[in-house]
Amino acid sequence: MQRSVVKKKVMKANFVNPVEETMTSSSAPSRKALSKIACNRLQKELVEWQVNPPAGFKHKVTDNLQRWIIEVNGASGTLYANECYQLQVDFSEHYPMEAPQVIFLSPAPFHPHIYSNGHICLGFHIANADILYDSWSPAMTVSSICISILSMLSSSTVKQRPADNDRYVKNCRNGRSPKETRWWFHDDKV
Amino acid sequence: MAEEEEVLMEVEALQAVYGDDCLVIEKFPPNFHLHINPRTADDSSQQFVEAVIGVRACPQYPEEPPHLEIIGSKGLDGHRKKHLITRIQEKAHELSSCLMLVALCEEAVETLSNMNHPDGNCPLCLYPLVLEDKQNSFLPFMKLMSCFHCFHSECIIRWWKWLQEQKEINPNTSSYDTVCPSRDLENQREMHGTMKANMGNCPVCRMIFHTEDIEHVLNLVGTHSFQLNLEETEASSDEALLQSDSENIRRQKFETLLKLQQENSGLIEPKSIEVLLPGTFLPESITIPTVSVKATNKQQQGDPTSTLASETDSSGSSNKPSTSKPKNSGMRKYRAQNSRKQLKQWIKKENSATE
Ligand SMILES: [Zn+2]
Ligand SMILES: [Zn+2]
Repeated sequence: MQRSVVKKKVMKANFVNPVEETMTSSSAPSRKALSKIACNRLQKELVEWQVNPPAGFKHKVTDNLQRWIIEVNGASGTLYANECYQLQVDFSEHYPMEAPQVIFLSPAPFHPHIYSNGHICLGFHIANADILYDSWSPAMTVSSICISILSMLSSSTVKQRPADNDRYVKNCRNGRSPKETRWWFHDDKV
Repeated sequence: MAEEEEVLMEVEALQAVYGDDCLVIEKFPPNFHLHINPRTADDSSQQFVEAVIGVRACPQYPEEPPHLEIIGSKGLDGHRKKHLITRIQEKAHELSSCLMLVALCEEAVETLSNMNHPDGNCPLCLYPLVLEDKQNSFLPFMKLMSCFHCFHSECIIRWWKWLQEQKEINPNTSSYDTVCPSRDLENQREMHGTMKANMGNCPVCRMIFHTEDIEHVLNLVGTHSFQLNLEETEASSDEALLQSDSENIRRQKFETLLKLQQENSGLIEPKSIEVLLPGTFLPESITIPTVSVKATNKQQQGDPTSTLASETDSSGSSNKPSTSKPKNSGMRKYRAQNSRKQLKQWIKKENSATE
């Protein structure tokens, strides 16, 4: 009985706040500089990444610690084999308390949970707990997010946009504040 | 070849020594599970690892050594688990065709005692909890009693305060909530209302812990005027913190404690009744907690009666590495009597317990 209520519930996917400027991907994030703690943590993650990068990912070296651009190679044997996409990961000053915002840069892969503007909706229908961005924990890392996203891509059986793509993307253009942006959970099988 | 009777007597001896820590499944050929703690385990806050080993002998025992395995563990990564089992297996070969069960168990406890420190990095800042190779380079850390995951005290408190702040700012958007229990959405929603008040979830494994675990650290941190405050912490650079005098003293004291512990094979004699904080490991005053707050959820729920008294003068002198006298005999008995509840508790939790 709780079931239907649960599914209709509006969830805030904190890590992918569709900030307006991410629509026009070139503009810089208008966000406060990283705290010392966020800086230290990201530097540590970067070092770890260089030593031991997640398979299928390549970090494009920039001098911007606050925005990572990461190349994703579709895993062989999946719908996205031999395809390459780019993820943009933005960190708030409060990282890792706050989840990072992760979007695909254009062109975003066709996938039932990836909108044409690159926003990703990862929900509870995916059996992998790491993929629950809704329950972000500061013990997660960029690397663990990447692995989740690749597993989401790899498990896809069809290359298509989410059913509500047009409505969603249009809403994002209406310039509402990131704080108001919430995700509707897809009503797939749980 | 040993008679069956001899083997049966050995099993009896085993039960006498280990009491409830030893779960005998079969007397002959011997098949049992042994719950092992490091030798400091009378004080659960000083315990960072534990394990259950399975020993299964065949009818040809002791001509053939028993089969040995680790059935469950906390605080041990794959590497350390392998080390533990290898050591016991080596012992088994060494003692081949003697009655060896008690000796194997002692070897297991010994090995585990030497590994009684948290491993790896703080999951929140990704910096090491304990640097074994370098002297004097760590910050106070604590462990969650339920899952043995360890964090820098400062890091976990920062996270905890952040959660509280978020709740105040957005009391309605509870769906974004790190304090959600399980992987199952329905469950989360149903349990949410009832559990959020006095429980949290480990950032690593999401196992439920009682906020008392953290609040104790919170109080403690306040008492010792750590840089706790969000703004303050962010402003101060870690390097500066590491260099500071008080930090150096704290580290030296911790170093001393570790040495002492090593010399005594992980055995530390409780010296004074001072700080008692479940799960807190506080290098800066080497007071050794003596009241046993057991790592069972039940008791944690019960009463947070632990008192906090600080005594700084004596701690320095009373904990210098002194003569390392073996204390095994007395402690063993005590421990065996004391561990009734732990076995049950432990086995129940074993699935989610490992990393
Ligand atoms: Zn830390
Ligand atoms: Zn944990």
